[in-house]
Amino acid sequence: MVRLSDLHESEAAHMQARADAMPEIPLGEWVTPKPLSESTVAIVSTAGMHRRDDPPFTVGATDYRLLPGDVDFADVMLSHISANFDRSAFQQDPNIMMPLDRLREMVADGEIGAVAPRHYSFMGAMPDPSNFETTGSEVGRFLAADGVDVALLIPV
Amino acid sequence: MGALSHFIERAGVATTSISLIRAQTEKVKPPRALWVPFALGRPLGSSADPEFQKQVMRGAFDLLTTATEPTIVDFPHESPDEAGPGVWACPLNFDPPADLSLTDQLLAEVARLRPWAIETRRERGRSLFGASGATIDDVDDVARALGHIAEHGEVHRMPPSDLTWRFKMPLLIRHLADDLRTFYHEALAGQPGPGAPNHHALNDWIFGGTALGKVFLAVADHLTEADDGMAKLVRGLLIPEGHYQGGSAFPKTKEFGADE
Repeated sequence: MVRLSDLHESEAAHMQARADAMPEIPLGEWVTPKPLSESTVAIVSTAGMHRRDDPPFTVGATDYRLLPGDVDFADVMLSHISANFDRSAFQQDPNIMMPLDRLREMVADGEIGAVAPRHYSFMGAMPDPSNFETTGSEVGRFLAADGVDVALLIPV
Repeated sequence: MGALSHFIERAGVATTSISLIRAQTEKVKPPRALWVPFALGRPLGSSADPEFQKQVMRGAFDLLTTATEPTIVDFPHESPDEAGPGVWACPLNFDPPADLSLTDQLLAEVARLRPWAIETRRERGRSLFGASGATIDDVDDVARALGHIAEHGEVHRMPPSDLTWRFKMPLLIRHLADDLRTFYHEALAGQPGPGAPNHHALNDWIFGGTALGKVFLAVADHLTEADDGMAKLVRGLLIPEGHYQGGSAFPKTKEFGADE
């Protein structure tokens, strides 16, 4: 589990230092979504996930990769640079990081309105996350253009 | 993750987030976040329980109706399958003759694991192997490339190979290593018994005497000797926390880690 006390002391210190150094980002206008059962939902991941023939992520990357809503998980891989997270769960079930099957089940059950046609992955491990401002804002606009009401953001 | 929430909301799209490192989420204050007590790499908690995954997702979605200002809520349940066995021993007996080169020891290990890696791939219909640019049939070439670097210390020169790698040196080292780690982990998942080891048990095993661990540490020493910033950063991306001289392999002046 990720409580800092459960990590190796060097990693816990690193994570705390990262937190201390993170900038404050001003809150924009509060967005009130329509009911979830009528909402189109997209997933935004920072797991460094992409299709096999996409260019992999490299050190310091602020760009992103697209994952279609009907992507074949056999075609999805990770090129995240960190050696410090468990990849075995994703090997076993990609839904643990990119729960597209779960979204489809929730649509079938009427819990959410629709699954977005496109989902996005960045690679985290960015010491200053304000570096994502340009591409993150861009993804926001593309999500809006796809009629997405709610983005579920999932770290790794 | 939290920063992206802010940037995406500016386009009018509501966001709700999963948080793994609470201290970082507290600092960035995204509009809505559900902190989960799961290991890094397991943000929805379970790879075997779809209902549990949905329970976590519902916890995040609920914040869309309950939060009226930046809010972090703690998910109240531990993962039902935290991360596989935490203490683990490989049933295979790796004991290559000591007179073999590091590369040959590594190739011998790969050969012992190969039937199990194939079994897992067959069962799952997929593999995460290949970030380096290799295909799954090229695992011996990946082992030879990393073994060559370990034996010759050439951390800035592309290793001799006919393959087309997707990274330049020295960053390629990190992805050769990860492909081999993936091959090993997928092979172990195919063996009968308690299942694949978790992240920590895997690393304890790798660095507890496998040829793969010896190769990683030999390469790490060469990266140290190279004495440039990028080589030292790659050392941190190669060796997990706690396994380089008992601590971190990252250079002290430049810090990278898992996700925010």
